[in-house]
Amino acid sequence: MGPSHSPSLVSDQEAALRLATAPMRAIAGRRCYGRYLYLAVNISILTFLLAPIAVVVVFALNPTPFIQFPPVGVSLRWFEKFFASRDFMHALGFSLEIALLTTVSATMLGASAALALARGNLPGTRLIVATMLSPLMLPAILTGLALFQTYVLLDVGRPTWGLVAGHTLVTLPYVVRTTLAVLHNFDTRLEEAAQNLGASPLRTFFEVTLPLIKPGVLAGAIFAFIVSFDQFPVSLFLVSPGNETLPVTLFNYLKFDLDGTIGAASVVSIVLAFLVVVGLDRTVGLRSYVKL
Amino acid sequence: MTKALGSSRLSRRRFLTASASLGIGTIAAPYVARADDPTLRITGWGGKWGEIMKAEIGPAFENEFKCKLQIDSAFPYLPKLQASSRSAPIYDVMHTNSNEQWAAAEMGLVEPKIDPKLVPNLADVYPYAISDKIVGVSIFTSAIGLGMRTDKGYGSVSSWKELWDAKYNGVRGGYVIPVNSLGQAFLMMCGTLFGKGQLDLDAAYTALEKLKPIKIVDFTGAMEKMLLSGEVGLCVIHDSGIYRYDGQNQPTDFVAPSEGVLSLEQVLTITPGSKMKELANAYVNYMLRPDVQKRLAETVWYSPANRKVKLDAKYDAKLLTTPEKVSKLIQVDWKWYNERKDEIDQRVNRIFRA
Repeated sequence: MGPSHSPSLVSDQEAALRLATAPMRAIAGRRCYGRYLYLAVNISILTFLLAPIAVVVVFALNPTPFIQFPPVGVSLRWFEKFFASRDFMHALGFSLEIALLTTVSATMLGASAALALARGNLPGTRLIVATMLSPLMLPAILTGLALFQTYVLLDVGRPTWGLVAGHTLVTLPYVVRTTLAVLHNFDTRLEEAAQNLGASPLRTFFEVTLPLIKPGVLAGAIFAFIVSFDQFPVSLFLVSPGNETLPVTLFNYLKFDLDGTIGAASVVSIVLAFLVVVGLDRTVGLRSYVKL
Repeated sequence: MTKALGSSRLSRRRFLTASASLGIGTIAAPYVARADDPTLRITGWGGKWGEIMKAEIGPAFENEFKCKLQIDSAFPYLPKLQASSRSAPIYDVMHTNSNEQWAAAEMGLVEPKIDPKLVPNLADVYPYAISDKIVGVSIFTSAIGLGMRTDKGYGSVSSWKELWDAKYNGVRGGYVIPVNSLGQAFLMMCGTLFGKGQLDLDAAYTALEKLKPIKIVDFTGAMEKMLLSGEVGLCVIHDSGIYRYDGQNQPTDFVAPSEGVLSLEQVLTITPGSKMKELANAYVNYMLRPDVQKRLAETVWYSPANRKVKLDAKYDAKLLTTPEKVSKLIQVDWKWYNERKDEIDQRVNRIFRA
């Protein structure tokens, strides 16, 4: 038989327990309010971030040739107009081409530069890093104008490679930054171990270094693609007649025809950017790099 | 057999040579191909204008003059021209509005006048197209007046001054003056309406103060949509911005105020350093040809500058196609305006910021 407790003793214990846990309950209550506040702030931020996309979608699906709220119906006429337009389709294809070329060049150059900066024991590394990141600090429109003047001085006109070079310049900092981030905590003993086991420097790079820095390189590549695909200020000066990118074509279009085609083109751009991220997730597994 | 196969084996040297040749060929091909045809580099609008230029007008010119027409429709034209060398300018012919042409002429980037001996069609244009208010030649003009909703019960409008009527508070439309030609022209009109003339800036500023509240936009296209949506009931706009919706049963109309309409000219100029002067003059002459003028005017609702153009009745009734109608045009002194642009911009920014 266990010890028996008198009712008065139990109530005393309960009272003592309540007294002891009162601050905890107060904290729990405050936590509950804090949680609601936290949720409200997050929902507000998400709404703020997604509202422009929602407006664009409404504009694209609205049958009227102007933004009308509430919408008077749903129509795909602006999507039809967008996909039927030779100019828009050419601009879309050209933008994708430029974005892909830029992604390749910026990724190769940026990752190599980051490796050299992290490993090379170069004099003035900080200065070099600052210089490589400087295109982010300069207004892109000035970068575009400066490149345009350079090409004019070199008498090369406005070639496609010039546009890719301009886009590479403004996307390079993203790749350098993200690759440097993963190289910061890189354990070089892994490379030494591979080489001690007989791996050549090239094999060590492809089988040890690259897989380990892949998260940073991929994140930079995604940034490079998206920034290039949406790039407007640099493209404005560097596109050649008949070879305009989608943002430049949209800008020229809206000066004269501000209708839902702009919305449809924006929706297509958003979907394409989304598909690129989803595609990369499915092929190289971005989720494993979420820690970045 | 074995010998034949062996002789065609791809060695590393052959591969590298072939790759290098292919690469150089790919890079050089466009330049080699272009070398045959002379290329005339011009600027041009997007929208309907761009569509018809690409589809019809441009190719017809290329066929007739055995050349390539390279049309840059990506703004901004003037900074690009400024950035390029004077002796090898990026454009041979610049097409833009009059205010920008004046700025270019002041910097020596375009020739101030077109030689009538080299452009015979110049003899057939209305006087406004080559007046002292014009650099180069105006090939078309639009009339800047008032655009209004016809379904809001506002009654008839006949004067610019009605824009100041209190009943339009909240539905009045204008432009960001520093960046929009229509807004700049309207500012000058305010001086005429309430002061001693176009150059009376003080009267214009006072009038602008009294115009508030007003909805202002950067682009003319945005104003068209605001009028179509009913967000604006009465606004400053050019006639083509209203007439282009002809046949769509839109409750909008263009009003040519009794005080006159402002001229929004489409101007062509030739760059002094152009290496294609002959072709540039041929292009200006071509754009002034009656058949080309008619086709473009009836597509984009611009009034042709050539007096000999006969438009179809629908267009003839609305556009400025007779000396009487053309006499209603008020041209802005853009040279004078550009000299004071910074000061004007600061002042109007202060007015509308407040």
